[in-house]
Amino acid sequence: MSDITTWICTGCALLCEDIQVYAANGQIEKVEHACMMGKARVTGCKHTAKPMVDHTEVTIDKAISKAVHILKNADNPVLYGWGNSTSQAQIAGIELARVLNAVIDSTSSFCQGITINEILQGHMPSCTLEEVREKADVILYWGADPMSSHPRHLSKYSYFPRGDMRQHGYEEDRKAIAIDVRQSRTAKICKDMFYRIPPGSDLEFMKALLDALDGKVPKLSFDMDIKRLLELATLLKQCEFGVIFAGLGLVYSIKEDIQILSGLISKLNELSNFSLIPMVGHFNMRGFNHNLFNETGYIHSVKFTDKGPLSGVEYSIIEQLKGNADAMLIIGSDPLASLPGALLEQIENIPLILIDPCENLTTRAADVTIPCKASGIEEGGTAYRMDGEIIELSPFIQSNGMSDEMIIQRIIKEID
Amino acid sequence: MAVDIGKFIKAPEYNVTIVTYRDVFQSAVCEEDRLSSEYQDLSAVIILDAAQMKHMGIVEGSNVRLTSKHGSVVVKTRASQQEEQKNIGFMVNSPWSNALVSIDTSDGFPGYKHIEVTIAVSKDEITSQR
Repeated sequence: MSDITTWICTGCALLCEDIQVYAANGQIEKVEHACMMGKARVTGCKHTAKPMVDHTEVTIDKAISKAVHILKNADNPVLYGWGNSTSQAQIAGIELARVLNAVIDSTSSFCQGITINEILQGHMPSCTLEEVREKADVILYWGADPMSSHPRHLSKYSYFPRGDMRQHGYEEDRKAIAIDVRQSRTAKICKDMFYRIPPGSDLEFMKALLDALDGKVPKLSFDMDIKRLLELATLLKQCEFGVIFAGLGLVYSIKEDIQILSGLISKLNELSNFSLIPMVGHFNMRGFNHNLFNETGYIHSVKFTDKGPLSGVEYSIIEQLKGNADAMLIIGSDPLASLPGALLEQIENIPLILIDPCENLTTRAADVTIPCKASGIEEGGTAYRMDGEIIELSPFIQSNGMSDEMIIQRIIKEID
Repeated sequence: MAVDIGKFIKAPEYNVTIVTYRDVFQSAVCEEDRLSSEYQDLSAVIILDAAQMKHMGIVEGSNVRLTSKHGSVVVKTRASQQEEQKNIGFMVNSPWSNALVSIDTSDGFPGYKHIEVTIAVSKDEITSQR
């Protein structure tokens, strides 16, 4: 007889709360409602991590002691990852960075941190996914392909549902628009509302759109029918509740001019009603930004000092690995797979401590591996959904291991 | 003994900008086992416009070497099912695309999204994960 659990999925930052997991004797037999990524997350990785020091299996106590030794002897340790950890583990990690006078950062310093900062600083209005579901009539996916990155985004919230104010659903009540360099799965759903632009031309397109919203004749250096741009401007002006889902394609194109995105939202709000939601990837990547902001006033790339926390690009993970970092604690991340290859030599040349439920590419280079429970599956806590809503995660598998939070707390205790 | 003259002739190189993207199938396999051959099969691939592949003399499914200022990898080719912009190739985010990424930036953002490379037909095996 299977036990049925309703699970909040940690496969991505949508944190879908309606996943049905059937388990018997601690084994998962069936998963319902989850996307491919969510199902893979709950089913678990094939190769679980083991406590290791210098590629030899040890007790978890020895692995933690070795990690403490490395961190205490480092002049510039960097604590990196955090997007797959609960807020409780992240807050413990921030405390560890404070104790060590370390740098702490996540992928958000080269990802959605820039848009989340605009929202947290009050420069850009945002809204909840429930508001999108119930009210949104114009949905703009810009440099984003949620059908690939957040597979239930359109069906659960942004396009297909019949919301309170959108009872005729996508057939009549909603318009979905994609602006992208490729005809992604999402762009295919948007059909004739797909605007294909050349790589790196988002800024030019945005300026042209602003001109069109101002009633000027827009100009583009690339081939696109200006009438289509004018039609887009008209649609955005006439909407009742619009939302822009900003993907990394957009972020990377306008990162030096992020204020123009805030300017576009401001202009749209003079004419209609628009919000922005960043397409955050890892299930609690946004939580790291909120929790660090609450603790330090900064959202990423923070260096703790005796005089207090500092933040700047020089404390980003990329700049630290180019220069100062002399030890790295990695939590819930696989930098050997996900960071640029040009940094791999630098990463492998410093002591690495890896805290993760699974083996990954970084395991092969790690001096210390400390296995932890899978957050949201074996360990509870809270996480920030992609729209900034706090969601309570409940574990449904009992295991005897340590959570990442417990491991960080142990490290803090042994360092003191 | 016959001499394979072909191996002394350098394959023509073309300039391509790689745009990276996410793929749900590859992401799911990444969750399960990112050290697997299935992950490699879904990752070590570049998608190109079919007509441009023909112009470049690249046969679908053949191996190509991609070289940037920052690294070089061999991946498999696939023709896009739709017409694409010229001189653009698409790769899913993975260690293979990351091997080509620039860190010559000063804003903390590596050049993940648009990667300038040369592409040339290659007889080498697909580059394996380290």
